[in-house]
Amino acid sequence: MVGASGLVGSTLTERLLAQGEDEVVPFIHSSGNAMRLARRGLDLKMLDLMDRSQVEAALAGATHVVNCSRGSDEVMLYGLSNLLAASRKHRVARFVHLSSVAVYGDPPPPESSAEDAPTLPERGAYGWTKLQQDRLVAKAAAEGVPSLILCPPNISGPYSYYLVSLVNALRSGTFALLDDGSAPCNLIDVGNLCHAIQLALRVGPADGARMFVTDDADTSWRSVVESVLPLVQQDSSVPRISREQLSSDPSAGRKPPMSLMASLKHLVSSDVREAMRKDPLWEKVDVALRRGVARMGKSVESSLRLSVEGPIPVVKAVPRQRWEPGLCRQQLRGVRHSCELAKRRLGYRPVYSVPQSMQAFRNWYRASHGMDTAVWPLLRELY
Amino acid sequence: MSHPPYGVERAGMSQPFRLAIVGAGMITRESHLPSALASTLVEVTALVDPVAQRAAALAREYGIAPRIATHVGEVLGDIDGAVIATPNHTHAAIAVECLRSGVPVLIEKPLASSHQEGLAIVRAAEESGQAVAVGYATRFRESVVLLKSLLDEGHFGAVRRYVHQFGTPGGWAPLSAYNLDRKTAGGGVLVVTGTHFLDRMLCFWGYPDEVGLEDDALGGPEANCTARFRYTRTPAPFEGVARYSKTVKLPAGMVVETELGYVVLADHDEAEILFRPHAKAGVEQVIRRRGGPSQPRQRDVTLLQLEDFVAACREKRLPRVDGRQGLESLKLLEALYAHRRTMEADWYEAVRPRVAA
Repeated sequence: MVGASGLVGSTLTERLLAQGEDEVVPFIHSSGNAMRLARRGLDLKMLDLMDRSQVEAALAGATHVVNCSRGSDEVMLYGLSNLLAASRKHRVARFVHLSSVAVYGDPPPPESSAEDAPTLPERGAYGWTKLQQDRLVAKAAAEGVPSLILCPPNISGPYSYYLVSLVNALRSGTFALLDDGSAPCNLIDVGNLCHAIQLALRVGPADGARMFVTDDADTSWRSVVESVLPLVQQDSSVPRISREQLSSDPSAGRKPPMSLMASLKHLVSSDVREAMRKDPLWEKVDVALRRGVARMGKSVESSLRLSVEGPIPVVKAVPRQRWEPGLCRQQLRGVRHSCELAKRRLGYRPVYSVPQSMQAFRNWYRASHGMDTAVWPLLRELY
Repeated sequence: MSHPPYGVERAGMSQPFRLAIVGAGMITRESHLPSALASTLVEVTALVDPVAQRAAALAREYGIAPRIATHVGEVLGDIDGAVIATPNHTHAAIAVECLRSGVPVLIEKPLASSHQEGLAIVRAAEESGQAVAVGYATRFRESVVLLKSLLDEGHFGAVRRYVHQFGTPGGWAPLSAYNLDRKTAGGGVLVVTGTHFLDRMLCFWGYPDEVGLEDDALGGPEANCTARFRYTRTPAPFEGVARYSKTVKLPAGMVVETELGYVVLADHDEAEILFRPHAKAGVEQVIRRRGGPSQPRQRDVTLLQLEDFVAACREKRLPRVDGRQGLESLKLLEALYAHRRTMEADWYEAVRPRVAA
């Protein structure tokens, strides 16, 4: 288990150990978030994926490898290359890699209900790195490392980061439902995903193909929001937003358009000059420049300043809700990814229904936050 | 030796205090070394780590050239005090060696990984007449100092109950990973995270009369726990609860329910005391020292702690958090673990019927 301390890695490690059929060696990158597994008294091995010889030594004797690791782009790409090379060297029987629906872009194209849709992630985005990973795994499969790629959407169930962020956004009023909330919400319960990984470790062709794995249900954003609303404990209703508002919302993290002139002006803007003045040499240059400009007279100085800085910006004082863009804009993904291929090739069927998954999440969340304890009235003061 | 009054103390001496920092891991890199370098009272004379390259690399990173040693014994003759920032189970041996050589120590919390080891440190300190300070740096927060005095005065009326919680999914990752082993850490999240509050709790209300603990340990260090405390004092007994997690992000802070309202103090260095009176729903008062700036800029608590230690050594007085107080924390930790029971942590099983294929 590589990346054993994450959400999927921890859940899968716990399941495999409970089942007791396999010898599981959990590898972690750092001790920081490994307490969920450490509490079981497991021998957790530290592994630096960037160290090829360390990875080779770690995989000696392994017959099956599951890669749930995350990290920087370098770790995700070079680290994966090391893992695949070590898997080839040690002739592992199966290499299961976790991809992401983000490889299809955000929003994904309508054709991405099936796996053979074009992959269009923005260069540099998370989905782009995951796509490069998929290509590395597919290449390794072609070169003899029996590999499968599972492609999950947002992961739900206990410990779900996605559902926690939704609860937080609902609580802070930064989440709005798109229109009537009927947009599809692709989910997979972490238990279902672990079940799919276990199948992938044993059955189906290991040809490096990418397979969607989901809860196989017509889940809408509205139903997901309704499932977690009892945890929010607020009386106000969930705000609504239109497609046009969501698409044009400036808080949605859009960058200004690229412009050479704007970039040149930025170089001589007061912001940049202020930073450069921290260096004594640049400070002298800046002082000399300002003196030179001042000698040209007030009107020239003013027009130069206006040209570089632009007019003083005054934002209209219209009350405007600030949405959590990463989460809200996910509702623009209008496609439902189908797990038919995983059903055919792996015999995958979800173990937990969406209502069961949501109930498990609520159980975990309520217990974790002490919501059913006598001190909850005090704890609420902190939220 | 006597305790200093609450407030900021600073000893001005012309000669810098020659300090060794033992342990070149994460806490030294992030906290102790930058604080020592920021102090005008201290000169970092030595960095000690069993892996000399690690200590040398850390020195290079900060652009300093202290003596590099692999064992504290190599530098004891050249220093006025030592900060011990090593895995918990190594504190006792290093501290006792320093103290027996006449070198006072500031030990990263907790004092040791067991009460027995902690007692050995305290006895060595008392026999040598040297100071032991324990790294409960949050005691140097202005808000904590102020709250202590307000609680002592009964400013908010009688305490009815309190709760404290702190949770992060992951976070602090020591290089040695000692935190993943119950033996080297002395426990789990209660020790790693909760001990800071246990120290403050002891400072606020003294040692509780009854304790209980639920945690999720299954052979290793617990990742989640809930500790309960009962104070059977007259005229008004009260209870407290402390919740810690290494798997869940929890809004961090303390809420004290008193006769007059809720006292809320978030758990970070810049937090201010909030009072929400029962009599005025929807109203919140910010409580701060009169005459201070509206948003006081807290000095780095690790720096305050270090300078308190230096002053204690020079003035031959007790540091704000001394060895005996650190020992009391260890006693409480051991009492809690002695009363532990396993908490329910199986979220799925309650809803487990399988979906028909």
